Amino acid sequence: MKLELRKIHIKDLAMGNEMSVKNGTLTIDKEAIIEVLKDDVNVKDVKIDIAKPGDKTRIIPVKDVIEPRVKIEGEGNGFPGVSTAVTQAGSGKVNILDGAAVVTIGDIVGFQEGVVDMWGEGAKWTPFSKTYNIVIDISVIDGLDPHTHEATVRMAGLKAAELIGQAGKDVEPDEVKTYEMGSIFEEAEKYPNLPKVAYVEMLISQGLLHDGYIYGVNSQLILPTLLHPNEELDGAVISGNCVAACDKITTYQHQNNSSILDLYEMHGKEINFLGVILTPELTTLAGKFRTCDYTAKLCKSLGAEGVIVSEEGYGNPDSDLLMICKRLEESGIKTVLITDECSGRDGMSQPLADTTKEAIAVISTGNVSHVVKLDKADKVLGNQAAIATLAGGWEGSIDENGVLSCELNAVIGATSEIGYHNLTVELY
Amino acid sequence: MSTQIISNNPTVKEEFQNVVFVEGGFLDVLIKVRDLVYTGHELINHPLGASIRIMFSPYRSIMVGDKTTSNNQYFMETIENSIINYKKHMEVRLVDNDNNEDYRYIDKDLLMSAIREHEMIKNLN
Repeated sequence: MKLELRKIHIKDLAMGNEMSVKNGTLTIDKEAIIEVLKDDVNVKDVKIDIAKPGDKTRIIPVKDVIEPRVKIEGEGNGFPGVSTAVTQAGSGKVNILDGAAVVTIGDIVGFQEGVVDMWGEGAKWTPFSKTYNIVIDISVIDGLDPHTHEATVRMAGLKAAELIGQAGKDVEPDEVKTYEMGSIFEEAEKYPNLPKVAYVEMLISQGLLHDGYIYGVNSQLILPTLLHPNEELDGAVISGNCVAACDKITTYQHQNNSSILDLYEMHGKEINFLGVILTPELTTLAGKFRTCDYTAKLCKSLGAEGVIVSEEGYGNPDSDLLMICKRLEESGIKTVLITDECSGRDGMSQPLADTTKEAIAVISTGNVSHVVKLDKADKVLGNQAAIATLAGGWEGSIDENGVLSCELNAVIGATSEIGYHNLTVELY
Repeated sequence: MSTQIISNNPTVKEEFQNVVFVEGGFLDVLIKVRDLVYTGHELINHPLGASIRIMFSPYRSIMVGDKTTSNNQYFMETIENSIINYKKHMEVRLVDNDNNEDYRYIDKDLLMSAIREHEMIKNLN
């Protein structure tokens, strides 16, 4: 598969009467987007705003973040099996509005958190304070059940990203990167002396607000499955998860999965990158055992000598992560885990909900319990009431000046377990 | 194979059979499950949710299976670790009682996922 990702650098964002990119300024036609999104009979109202880096704006509660793109050559467009017809993703040429993002908001349940601050302290912790955001607030018709409500908001975000992506159709990119990889046999023949490394990406797969989708298939329904890395970079995987704000993998982060991009960078130089195994994080223990066995079997069948495993969420998924690690290490496969820590406000508690002695190579993407202070915003996009949810974490978490103390838990992408975030690891 | 649902969620009590209703909070449900696991019952779904936010939930529903003749070390460790983790997190946080209806719905939905998974796996055995 060969995929050309062509980045058009977006340096400003404006509302106007057309969809265009001129000299790095993305102009969006708000009414055109609203018209398309209102085609869905379940959508009652759509509000569109923009939020730029540095604006004293808070976006809450964020449901998903999506990168606007358009396929200019090759099969399909957008998110196959979800917002467009099923096609094989992973090949062709894609124009990307790099630096722009569609951010969907809409409270499906009252306890959603998920904050993006575009300025100040809060901005330091989320990668989406640096993107020019088109914020889409979707209200649904009365009486809609929560599952349909979630699907409606999810679909609206994807459709909006596709529509906005069209603005880049005929624009020359500032940067072009090609991702190409043949079959595992071809790559092994090219790089016979390089260690074979697979990437296992775990997805929360547990029910409403806790789901991920692969070509539109709910990952609750799958056995672990093998993808060519290009498929994920080309929209095959999307998020339906809107709890676990700090470590949920947004659709944007799937489209730009840092672990895949880094492994690609090393492919043919230090390692032979075998591909991506998407693994569901199920709720039952028997389901977890089966997933673990099946993941390890796929890694062994591919001849992997090393495996990188990234988690999504905290709590019961820690058991999957460590079970997979134990099984792989016992099979003689060197295993590195990427996860965040839930190690208390002082960082001194046990970081994961489970342990195993085989987990000796673990990369931490940050402590979700770290407390940050968020200043009062001039403008709030979304639901003011959701701020009370953040403030309700503990007694006295909001002071008389409106300064809010919250844990990184609530900040979108703050401790991304695939590494798409602002923190780094220091060795000492 | 019979299953019981250990729950403090009134919606679950109303809509499902085989519910052992716990008058109390999330922790009381965990403790009831621990007692059953120590008397040999199989632990079917993981006692914790998949995010910190679910720990703020006032409600939790967990399935246990038949009583077996021997205790299962893995089940015992899992429920004990879950209790330790729950206590650790809730020492410094407040249960979110402002969104009870939504938490009841989500708890029921997560339970239904667990039931579907369990049925699928059971049918294969």
